[in-house]
Amino acid sequence: MRVILTAKPRRKPFIPVEAESIIPRHFLQGRDLFIWEGNKKRSLRELFDVMVERTAAAAEEVEVILRGDVSRFKRVGEYMDAGKITIEGDIGMHCGNFMSGGTIEILGNANGWLGREMRGGGILCHGNAGHYAGSGYRGEKFGMKGGTLEILGNAGDFAAEYLTGGDVIIHGNAGDLPGVEMAEGNLLIHGDCSRPCGNMTGGTCTVLGTVHGMLPTFRMTGTVLWEPKKIRLTAFEGDIANRGKGTLQVREFHYDG
Amino acid sequence: MTELLLSNACVIDPLNRVNGDVMDIAIRDGWIVESVGNGAEVIDAKGFLTLAGGIDSHTHLCGTKVNFGRYMMPEDMRAGRTIRRGLMHATSGYSVPTTYGNSYRYSAMGYTSILEGAMAPLEARHTHEEFSATPLQDTMANTLFDGNWSVMEAVREKDVKRAAAIVAWTLAAVKGFAIKLTNPGGTEAWGWGKNVTCIRDTVPHFDVTPAEIIETLIRANELLRLPHSVHLHCNNLGAPGNYQCTLGTFDLVPDLNKERQSLYATHVQFHAYGGTSWKDINSKAEPVAYAVNRKPQIVIDMGQMMFGKTTTMTADGPMEFNLYRLHHNKWSNHDVELETGSGIIPVYYSKKSLVNCVMWAIGLELALLVKDPWQCLLATDNPNGAPFVRYPEIIGLLMSRRYRDEELRTIHPGTEKRIVLHTLDRELTWYDIAVMTRAGQAKALGITKIGKGHLGIGGEADIAVYPIRIGETDPSRDYAAVVSAFQRTAWTIKRGRVVTRDGEVVVEGTNRTIWARSRVPEAYDISKDDRFVKTFDRYYTVRMANYPVQDAYIPRSTCIESEAVL
Repeated sequence: MRVILTAKPRRKPFIPVEAESIIPRHFLQGRDLFIWEGNKKRSLRELFDVMVERTAAAAEEVEVILRGDVSRFKRVGEYMDAGKITIEGDIGMHCGNFMSGGTIEILGNANGWLGREMRGGGILCHGNAGHYAGSGYRGEKFGMKGGTLEILGNAGDFAAEYLTGGDVIIHGNAGDLPGVEMAEGNLLIHGDCSRPCGNMTGGTCTVLGTVHGMLPTFRMTGTVLWEPKKIRLTAFEGDIANRGKGTLQVREFHYDG
Repeated sequence: MTELLLSNACVIDPLNRVNGDVMDIAIRDGWIVESVGNGAEVIDAKGFLTLAGGIDSHTHLCGTKVNFGRYMMPEDMRAGRTIRRGLMHATSGYSVPTTYGNSYRYSAMGYTSILEGAMAPLEARHTHEEFSATPLQDTMANTLFDGNWSVMEAVREKDVKRAAAIVAWTLAAVKGFAIKLTNPGGTEAWGWGKNVTCIRDTVPHFDVTPAEIIETLIRANELLRLPHSVHLHCNNLGAPGNYQCTLGTFDLVPDLNKERQSLYATHVQFHAYGGTSWKDINSKAEPVAYAVNRKPQIVIDMGQMMFGKTTTMTADGPMEFNLYRLHHNKWSNHDVELETGSGIIPVYYSKKSLVNCVMWAIGLELALLVKDPWQCLLATDNPNGAPFVRYPEIIGLLMSRRYRDEELRTIHPGTEKRIVLHTLDRELTWYDIAVMTRAGQAKALGITKIGKGHLGIGGEADIAVYPIRIGETDPSRDYAAVVSAFQRTAWTIKRGRVVTRDGEVVVEGTNRTIWARSRVPEAYDISKDDRFVKTFDRYYTVRMANYPVQDAYIPRSTCIESEAVL
């Protein structure tokens, strides 16, 4: 089953839309879905042209495709557990919150909080991601716990904050403080970043570019060979300010900003 | 003139010794009267349990500390979300909800008056601003004097009258209601990185002991003829073995007032621990309750702890630091210039934790072992023991031995050796509960004279009608019905107006702030005292003229005036 949702032009396109009802499972029964545009409750058909091809027996067989300008649509794929969502442009904040299964593919850029507190499944973002990709929400002690979040572009600040499981892969650069407070899981940054892994207690963070503003609270333990590309990396343990036992391995680093 | 007749109400009104009589209550312009005319609006209470509006005599609801809890705990706002509906504002939060969330939830439980447990005088404006956004309850604020420099100097000089004069000026300046002592001396010692372990330790620099502060302020309080007594959070909260400190504190209390207690000891559950460490902590509710039974001059509240998530907040800064060292979670610490301090941390009380299970049992034991319900009031020190929305469950536990036994089976198996709860057969009656949730509070706070806490002629028409018929319910077996009835009133009436119906708020609400002013002779006007003014100018960051809270902050208020005897 394929559900193609084409966003209609909106009179006030800057008003944010809370679209947490857009997950594959909800399209199985063909019931009417509601989303909030600002403080107005709207039916899905008021904001989208909906085209449905074929039928499906299970959520796994459902693919939802979003077209048009959905860059102000938040919480798409929240709590999704199966199926696929493809977003052909940019997507708003909180895409894939708490998702536990299935995949989300974003052909454009994603805004902040992409895949926050993810539990499983996969997100592939072809463009850049905003701040707090794969992190925990404000005040939360556990961020992403499982699944894979892959960003082919750059990520903003605080990527994978409170990472407690799963894999986060950033092919471009990450911003400030990636992997802060991480406790478990893997964070791989192909590009540069600054001040990674403050307060980390466990898990592994690998930076194949240059680290700026390397934190002084990591103890150098030697070098390791990063097998996939046969690159030699400097390994650290930390954050010792937090009695952490995490691993941070970097290709190049500077203690000054 | 608006008139309302609440007919066919099954009334329990302990202050007027009414126990389960079915009667009509006539209300005119917010007050209970003999009778009303034929044109009055009639509400048929259908024989439901009808009590005076609930009063919470110790809750942390409004002010800088609560608000900092909101800052610190954004994740708390994920729970308890309701969207705007009718006249109701959107709300969110569980242990530190928005002000409207607090107000609506209290009102749905039939509460119409609340006392904020700790207001730092310097930060009174914030408390009053939040009061004005708590529209469905009349509000009062305990004012902190535990580390007040000028008071401690007066204590050192053994000058009760000077201490009284400082209290009188401060209460009137900040529109406070009563004297609150939180770990007296301890928070000041915390400014030097120290604490006091009990009432005989000395506060650094000031050279006074907590015992002296407590005794002096109890006497000062009675000289000022304030409506409420001293409201004390004892030293050494939450430490194993602290019950001895609590008993020692109780022994200090003279019986000075015929109408009410001379000391209100709050959240005593946290002060009734035996043992020497967290490993051998046990319940000492028995000695503490027996001490209360012997001393009519003391009233306590339970400070019941309930399992689940919450936020602890208190002016007891050093204690919060100790808790932080246990939990290693977030922590905030705050100093309020010449007055006090505070600390906040989030906690999760777990049935798997032996310590938590013992704490849970102690609160209930206190309520069951104190013979006179007028001396042990129902509260959780919201949100420290549990958010106030858990009160109905506590009522259920107190009224049903079966419910307690069922809960006891689910907690840590090692608990029974350390507590006495499982041996207690007592089941509180509807009358006892009415005392512990409104009449007792009104008497202890000294607000019966302004019509609070009772349903007699001349009383303020604050009424809660709970959807339960006491003749048809056996609370011992049918505790679930009791809990659900106390969670949501059929009607909550505030000053003669229905404010909530079946838990839905139906009016905007206009609350009042109740504050106390004791008139002192000219010679005791401390604002004209050279030494006091000098201390003020030298150490405070504000000018004395800017210190008092302007009337604009309390648009509607009732002042309880008294004549000081100095």
